[in-house]
Amino acid sequence: MAVRVVTVDRNLRTGPMPILRGLGLTFKNMLATWFGGKAATVQFPEEKRKTSGRYRGIHILTQRMDGTPKCVACYMCATVCPAECIYIESGERPEKDIEKYPTRFEIDLLRCVYCGFCVDACPEEAIVMSRENDLVGTTRAELIIDRDRLMDRNKLIEYGPGYRPEEHDVRRPVRIAALERLRKEHGIVPGMPQRS
Amino acid sequence: MPKCTINGREIEVPPGTTVIQAALELGIHIPHFCWHPDLAVDGNCRMCLVEVEKAPKLQIASNTAVTDGMVVHTESEKAAQAHRTTLEFLLVNHPIDCPVCDQAGECYLQDQYMDHGLHESKIEPEEKVRKRKVVDLGPIMLDAERCVLCSRCIRFEREVTGTNSFEFVNRGDHTQIATFQDRPIEHNYAGNLADVCPVGALLSHDFRFKMRVWFLQETASVCPGCSTGCNVTIDHRDGEAHRLRPRRNVDVNKSWMCDIGRQEYREIGLDTRVTGPRVKRADHWEGVPLDSALDAVAARLGEARGATAFVATPQATNEDLFAFRTLADLVGGTLDFRVGDPQDRVRVREDNVLLRADRNPNTQGCLDQELGRAGIAALLGDCAAGRVKALVLQGPELLRLPVAVDALAHVPYIAVMATHEGPELDRAHAVLPAAVWAEMDGSFTNYQRRVQRIRRAFPPLGDAQPRWQMAARLIQRLGGAFPAVSAREVFALLAAAVPGYAGLTYGALGATGRVLDAPSAPAAEARA
Repeated sequence: MAVRVVTVDRNLRTGPMPILRGLGLTFKNMLATWFGGKAATVQFPEEKRKTSGRYRGIHILTQRMDGTPKCVACYMCATVCPAECIYIESGERPEKDIEKYPTRFEIDLLRCVYCGFCVDACPEEAIVMSRENDLVGTTRAELIIDRDRLMDRNKLIEYGPGYRPEEHDVRRPVRIAALERLRKEHGIVPGMPQRS
Repeated sequence: MPKCTINGREIEVPPGTTVIQAALELGIHIPHFCWHPDLAVDGNCRMCLVEVEKAPKLQIASNTAVTDGMVVHTESEKAAQAHRTTLEFLLVNHPIDCPVCDQAGECYLQDQYMDHGLHESKIEPEEKVRKRKVVDLGPIMLDAERCVLCSRCIRFEREVTGTNSFEFVNRGDHTQIATFQDRPIEHNYAGNLADVCPVGALLSHDFRFKMRVWFLQETASVCPGCSTGCNVTIDHRDGEAHRLRPRRNVDVNKSWMCDIGRQEYREIGLDTRVTGPRVKRADHWEGVPLDSALDAVAARLGEARGATAFVATPQATNEDLFAFRTLADLVGGTLDFRVGDPQDRVRVREDNVLLRADRNPNTQGCLDQELGRAGIAALLGDCAAGRVKALVLQGPELLRLPVAVDALAHVPYIAVMATHEGPELDRAHAVLPAAVWAEMDGSFTNYQRRVQRIRRAFPPLGDAQPRWQMAARLIQRLGGAFPAVSAREVFALLAAAVPGYAGLTYGALGATGRVLDAPSAPAAEARA
């Protein structure tokens, strides 16, 4: 194995030149920030950093046309969640072909690791992620968000949609191919409990 | 005895055994829907087709008796194709609403699709025959779309309860099960319909939408509802019991249990549980640590010695009773357990299925340990005459008994071990929190003198402890020895001391219990 040898010259020249060169770099960046509009930072919270369309921010529960949650309380998200941060209680809907809906749906954002597995697991596209990433709270209880907060469409409009199972999601075909390969080659269907 | 070969493995079975049973004995699972070990064979689902050498066609394993020299293949190419096509046929009109179906996770269709199907459906969801959904039949919810028409529910109603509520209606694709004019199921064994249903067509109303079953942990136990002692599974999650299911025991309850027993899980987590010990002061109750409560009780017992009385409860396990008996013998007081009438009817049947008149799980254990000594009338007489200075109750039953109330008012000190709060506890002077059956290891002896184990599903609520543990701590405080720190060890002490239990250990009891040798005459009579 070839080893690359790097020789470092430790005999630095003394005098004002190194300091001036360093300051030169500082002033160059200062001027670029002031007059060139090339700041590396953003003026949060007035200004927000741009995030991608697949950004995994705070969850959104999607709605049916009548404003009720699309969720049927199947607990797939709670089952797949590696952080066990989703708590659901279910109730009965009058429509016989829907039957079930969540009377409580809570996500503990302090436990959540924003992996997006819940979005992948959902059979109804009922849970998606927004690009909201700046929720603050002064108590832990505030950061356990309930069904009404999760169904707040305004947040989705304000921050824009993030990770969700839609066609333009570039990773979707890759994921589907990977799942298919798992099933074909190893007979594994992820998320299904293996029978003993 | 015919000898056959299944998947290359030989087995010898009694004549009349079917292939599916022989295979199960070998640990080979043949897919099936309509076959149930405790119901008559019907053979309508055609899922259990297997290849029998020299037979021209595939045979159904559930209705083919093993004959000598039979060679069966359950996983051959032909059999596998039969399983796949049968399953595809059964799924033709299935709504595939697993996300909202409570059966998901314990559904034969799901399991067998993963094992044998994995086919693409040829039918679009829109083309499927729609049937009735969400039909409320009292304790049972019917969803005819999910039904595979296996007739298990029909046979259960015909053979076990004799009520014949269900029947097939309509023909062909449109066949579905129904009760007459959608009348609700009114018998006491409705919960079993949800259990026998291999799919989500019949589901329990009580468990509806409560929990997805894959979150639940299972603990094998015994129902404490009556002296039958049905074997059950406690399904629980995070210290909360969500349902009871019957566990198969051919000699006790087969695969069934009654709806009253099924409700027993509700008692476990009630708000009215006694969670901490308390003692009565001049005008109020004071919560105290368990140690000081036990100190106080032990001091009273130490003072009174011979002038004490002990009343055991047939709700307690054998281990509880043994520790309690040891305590009573150490102190030297009188001892009994018979409170009220039902316990005299330990073997009386309430119906022709499972329920018994004695609503206590362990009356037979009390009888075996000879706890019925003084008689409750004599004991109450002593109380009324002021001869009892301290009374220890293993359960609060006596405090509830109207005839006992006056007599008990003459007793200066009553300590009671209780699981649930009630107005009767105000008549005591010290209340000790007892663990309920699901929170402890132990054993019950049922009416057949079958000793069966109960197992701890989750820790006791609050400061509650098993009764034997509290009795053992009292024994230690009174200077006696009780060399056991677990229910298993208490049972070993019990086996050494109680005739009939000699040689029994938890290991020997196994999953389905052991009948004691030389059953007494009435028990043999009741079994006949």
